Order: sequence, then structure tokens, then C-alpha cells
Amino acid sequence: MNSPLASTPVVTANVIPFKKILIANRGEIACRVIRTLSALGIASVAIHHRLEARAKHARMADQAVEIKGETPVAAHLDGRQIIEAALAIGADAIHPGYGFLSENAGFAKAVANAGIAFIGPDAATIALMGDKISARDFAAAHGIPVAPSVMPTQDIDAFARDAAAIGFPLLIKAAAGGGGKGMSIVRSASELTEAARIAASEAQRYFGDGRVYAETYVERPRHIEVQVLGDGQGNAIHLFERECSVQRRFQKIIEEAPAANLAPELREAICAAAVRLVAAAKYKNAGTVEFILGADGRFFFLEMNTRLQVEHPVTEMITGLDLVRAQIEIAAGHGLPMAQGAMMQNGHAIECRICAEDPARDFLPETGAVQYLGVPEADYLRFENGLDPGQRITTDFDPMLAKLVVHGPDRDVAIARSIAALKELALLGVTINIDYLARVLAHPAFRAGDLHTGFVAEHREALAVGEPAPEALHQALIAAALGFREFHDLAFGVPEPHATIGRWRN
Amino acid sequence: MVFKLVLDGNLHEIDIVRRRPHLVLRIDGREHEVSGIGSYGDGRQTIEIAGTAIHFARAHAGDRQFLRLDGRSFEAKLLDPRSVEAGGSGQDSVKAPMPGAVISLHKAVRDHVLRGETIVTIESMKLQTALLAPRDGVIAAILRVAGEVFDKDEVIVRLEAPAQVN
Repeated sequence: MNSPLASTPVVTANVIPFKKILIANRGEIACRVIRTLSALGIASVAIHHRLEARAKHARMADQAVEIKGETPVAAHLDGRQIIEAALAIGADAIHPGYGFLSENAGFAKAVANAGIAFIGPDAATIALMGDKISARDFAAAHGIPVAPSVMPTQDIDAFARDAAAIGFPLLIKAAAGGGGKGMSIVRSASELTEAARIAASEAQRYFGDGRVYAETYVERPRHIEVQVLGDGQGNAIHLFERECSVQRRFQKIIEEAPAANLAPELREAICAAAVRLVAAAKYKNAGTVEFILGADGRFFFLEMNTRLQVEHPVTEMITGLDLVRAQIEIAAGHGLPMAQGAMMQNGHAIECRICAEDPARDFLPETGAVQYLGVPEADYLRFENGLDPGQRITTDFDPMLAKLVVHGPDRDVAIARSIAALKELALLGVTINIDYLARVLAHPAFRAGDLHTGFVAEHREALAVGEPAPEALHQALIAAALGFREFHDLAFGVPEPHATIGRWRN
Repeated sequence: MVFKLVLDGNLHEIDIVRRRPHLVLRIDGREHEVSGIGSYGDGRQTIEIAGTAIHFARAHAGDRQFLRLDGRSFEAKLLDPRSVEAGGSGQDSVKAPMPGAVISLHKAVRDHVLRGETIVTIESMKLQTALLAPRDGVIAAILRVAGEVFDKDEVIVRLEAPAQVN
């Protein structure tokens, strides 16, 4: 197979016109992009706020530019300053990574206007897909299934009549909503009007906008997304699907490719729908089309992300393709890396997002410092990170610290290897979620591929931290006690005359 | 000599039974002979318990210690005997459950509060949380003003010691 590390570039006749690329990002994804740039012989430019001047991405890049801002996040969102930096240093392209400015149409436009290539789609496409309503209308117009819905209104009776016509169960949502406020599930016509009234009054109270809308409620939904590549000329291919159903706080924590237990016809239909959408939009870049899949086999368009995805390595591992390289080649006008028919899939890959958070306290973020980092090594795994020894973990950035991505010849092996790697990994100095991730992977429902977006909630008790075996507990207590100087000195203290030199014997 | 150690939130006692010829510790009535002395520093370590080598990794962070042993994470703290003697029932202060910033203060120093009343609203990672009075009482101090940031477990509010009833 191709190396799952996707680090060995295949020689092509086409020469990439970019000599220097600025990465408008930080952390693990900046490090990831720099790796491919190095392999391609393209100079890399990192940007950093003064608080992260010594960060790994800034050290890895060929050049680093400081960007100013009240906070590091504000600096990374300052598009104008970043474009000025790119111009000043002579970068001919900008790679936005994910998050920050990656899906900001205004930024993409400003980059293009400055005469710099934006490694992503054009501003109009970002705007089209960035607006949930326009994206959904565009998808529906091109025959992509969207969840039937009734648009926002304040006429409760008309709303209830139209909503009932869709069929039950229904999800009632606030038009201006978010975070579950003003949402309810309605299972029969008799509950509908009252539920709509309550939702409207809650929406009014929370958001100052009483409009509500309704859509088909998908029971035990799975989050299935398709990795796509488009050349901007209407040609598009898919790189198979990923499943990202294991989520907490509406954010993914475990992703895999391919999805478990997906019937071949269904898989084909979902991937074909994604390609149809991307071709119709004359999309140019790597992208992800997200779907929600119901237990009944119905699937609906959710949204399209017009950028590289956090979980892209699982696709790289099963296809052997380097997606950052594909993005750069597409931006350079070299087209798609291969035809759909030539796309092969090999084995199974799983990504675990390692986050500074405490699963026992509802996944609340944690702070600390990276006091010790011991990373497992194997040719079948990638530990994607931008961590440095001693680095402080603050709430300045996202709690995701690293990604552990593991490949195996099949799903069972990928799970077993992931669990073993998580157990071997030591990232000490801040509370993280790796033991929780290992418990999820080991859970019979996960092993069986019985996944849905409510997995974390459904298995809350089974996934809670268990008591350690008495043997391990005592070992941990002894190891901990000996790590405290007061205890250590007393335990190994020597008769008085030698007491002062005792501690130096180690 | 008995040491009190909090491991993952649970209190344990470790007794140094003997130091010679080998270190013997007692935990929950069980004795363990420890040899192959490790250092108390950070990083990969090995100790021997009853002749078996135990490999683990350790890191200190302030007064906390993080351990990775047997494929599992542990967090330990040595209990300072003075803090136990001080007898703070844990009801005299309100600590930050997570790092973040103060959004607003709902009470002022000298105010009377009832148990469960909101004293401060904080925000962390776009989540707002109310810090509640742990008991009825009078506010002695509010240690952060709106806009100020704090770390997890920092004391944000102190209550006056309850009046002696007897």
C-alpha cells in the first residue's frame, strides 16, 4: 500500500508555481501543512502572536512572522494584517488550514485581490456554502436530499398546518437559535401547536426573535461526511466517507474511515450525492459534504465545509493521498490527482481528538502545562500535534491538543491499535480525555459499529471512569507518594549524619 | 508516619512501616516492600514493588502530580496537614470549577446570601456558569471583578465564618 503517512510525494511532471506559502493558522494543522510544503520543496511561512513566538509551528516553518493583536485569537483573525505579512514576505499563496479565516469569504476575496492565491474555493462559493439556507436551497435544487422543513414564520396556526404535512417526528427550532434553546421534538399532531407556541415564546425570550421552524427529526442520527475534491471546472471526485458520530458538546471526538456497517448501495448513494453537489457548484478545492443518516436509511444534506477538515488524516490513511498536496495542486490549476475509478481504499483508520478537558465533569476545559510528553511510535500511526515541552495550556485556544490517527488492515485491528496507542501515550501536566477515548473504543456498541450522535449521552454510565484494579491503585499511590519530595525524603532518609546527602544518591 | 494522599479525588493513607533494610509501606492494611528507588522527578520512572518492576510516567504541576501507570491516568495531591487542621468545611469559599473570566457580580461584600443564590457569573469557552453560595452566610470577600480571569480551583468568593451557635 501507499504509506499511510502520505509523506512520500509522487513525482509529477507539473511544476507547482508556488515558491512560498504562508499558513494562516497555528498548532497541529500549521505543522501538518508545513510538512507537505517541505516535501514539495515549497518555502513555508508561519504566523504567530507574540505569546506563541516559540511555538512549534513557528520554529518548523522556514520563516515566521509576528502578527499583532490584543489576544492571539484576535491576531489570527486579522485578515488584513495577515495579507500584508504575506505580501511583505513575498508569499505567492496562503493556506488557511481549518477554523480561523478558512471559511471567511471576505478574506478569500481580499487575498485574491492582493494578487495572492488562496488555497481554497473562491469567495462566492464560500459564501454560498457558508449560509445554511443558501447551501440547503442549492443542494435541494440539484437533487441532493435535504430534510423536509417548514420555514420560519410567526403565524403559529399556519406553521402548525404546514409542519404537520411533513410528518412526524418533527424537530421545532428557533430561527435565531443555537445551543438547544427553543428546541423540542414533536411526535404527534396533537402536541404540535402547543409545542410551537412554547418554542416561539422561548425563542423570543432567549434571542429576541420569536420565529420558529420545523424539520424532520432523524432518530439516532449518524454523522456521515464525504471527502471531495473539485477542480473548479465542474469535475469532482470523492475520497469515500468518514463517520464522525461520536460527539460531545456538538463536537466530534472520534472519527473513522470508512463508516462501519454502511450498506454498499447506501454508501454509494451518499458519496454520489456529494459529488453531484460539488460538481454543480464547480467547486475548487478539497471539501467535505456532511450528511445526517437516519436509522431508516434516509440521509439528508447537513452542510458543506469548504476547507481541509480536522479529521482529514483518516481519509489520507485509507487512500494514500496527501490532501494538502492535492489542495495545492488544485489551487495551482493542475486538476484532480486521479480519476474516480482509480481511487482505491485500503483498510480502516480512526482518529481520536486529544483534548484538555475532564470527561468526568461534563467535558469542561482544563488548563495546565505539557510537563511530559511520551508518544507511541509505529508506522501505522500519526500523532498530529504542535506541542512543546513545558507549553502552557490555556483557554486562549481550542482545547484540542493533538490527534492520534491509527491505521489497521480492518476496523477491529484499527480499534485494538488505537486503544494500545492511547494507553501508551503519556501527556502529563493537564487533565486530558485519553482514558475516556480508550473506554469509548473498547465499548461493545462502538466495536459493533452501533453509532449515533447521541452515543456519548446514551452510554454515559458505561463510559464513566471505573475504579482501578486494587493492584494498580496501590502501585499508583506508591508511585505518587514517592514523587512528593516530603515523602521521598522521609522514606529514604538515612541515619542523621547522612540525611543531608541522602537525596543526592539518586 | 502516616501521609494523606488524594488520588483522583479519593483520600488514601500511606504509612511508612519500615525503612530498613527495605522500605515497607502500608496502604489499606496491606504491606508493600518497595525497592529500586526511583527519583521524585518528572518523566519515565521505574520502581520495584515486591520485586516486580513497575514502569510509569510522572509530571509535577504546582502541588499536583500527574501519573500514567498501567495505561491509565492518575492525579495526586499530598494533603497538607495544616489545611486539614484548619477545618475549612469547604463551605467557606466558592472556587472556580474551570478556568475563565468573570462576567458579572450579583452580590457585594457584606451582602447576605442564601444557599444556592448566584453570587458571580463566569464564562469559559463561551459557556456561562453561575457560581452559587454553598450555604447561607455573609460575603467576606469577592476576589475577582468583572472582566478578570482566573484558573481552575481559584477562590473567587469567601464567606464569613458562620457564627458559633453554641
